[in-house]
Amino acid sequence: MIPPAKSHLTGAAMAVVLLVVLIQAYLFETVLEAVLDGQRGALPGALAVSALLSALALFLAFKIQHVSRIPSGDAEKAPTLDQHK
Amino acid sequence: MAGWKSLFPVDLAEESRLSRREFARFMALVSAGFTGGIGYLYLRRKPLDGAPASAGDHPAELKVCRAEDLALGNSFLFTYRDAKDRCILIHTPKGEWRAYRQTCTHLGCAVRWDGRRLECPCHNGAFEVELGFPVAGPPTRPLSRLNVELRPDGWVWVHGDLPKPTLPGQGGDA
Repeated sequence: MIPPAKSHLTGAAMAVVLLVVLIQAYLFETVLEAVLDGQRGALPGALAVSALLSALALFLAFKIQHVSRIPSGDAEKAPTLDQHK
Repeated sequence: MAGWKSLFPVDLAEESRLSRREFARFMALVSAGFTGGIGYLYLRRKPLDGAPASAGDHPAELKVCRAEDLALGNSFLFTYRDAKDRCILIHTPKGEWRAYRQTCTHLGCAVRWDGRRLECPCHNGAFEVELGFPVAGPPTRPLSRLNVELRPDGWVWVHGDLPKPTLPGQGGDA
């Protein structure tokens, strides 16, 4: 019997997403502090880094779909996510 | 069934269930929100409330007051970059001159000189006068400091870009 296929986010991907959010929070706090001090020089760089991190987090959370627990020989017969729904 | 239940047919048990992927998606959206915030700060041309104009928009130096008009242990308020950039000049009891931005680094209240240190009346924060570092209360960051110069004509001038002071040995202008 084929175990049910499942959209599975690996622990590593989850950890990366959480790490990205932590870095983003720290980055935003630092940038806001600098802007309130009247120094805007770091804004372009911070925006680029933040956009990159967000793209990574969104990609991991929305795009990557790992189908787990499917025996290699039965991969073609395995039900898809749509069939389970 | 009550009307609202037919509109929201979700069991309580299902309502509290959150898969790992859903949580990751929420976190990714939070991350995107931070990026949006930084983008807003980048695109916004006007300074935020309480923030001074950009560093290039102010005169390089400013004549504040005559030295003889400020006795030992007294302070003098002035504005530096623009009308919102309130600063405070202090003639310390030791005879030294110090100038800081008057904005508390906690929540932006105006600090005041009490004869010994700079105090923030909003949350009882305090800053020492030598370098502007916090010594009491919730503030964790030092006050922004201006360079003070006493010129031969008897006037006190201030200049600088209000950098954060650093401890001796860490570099900077402290």
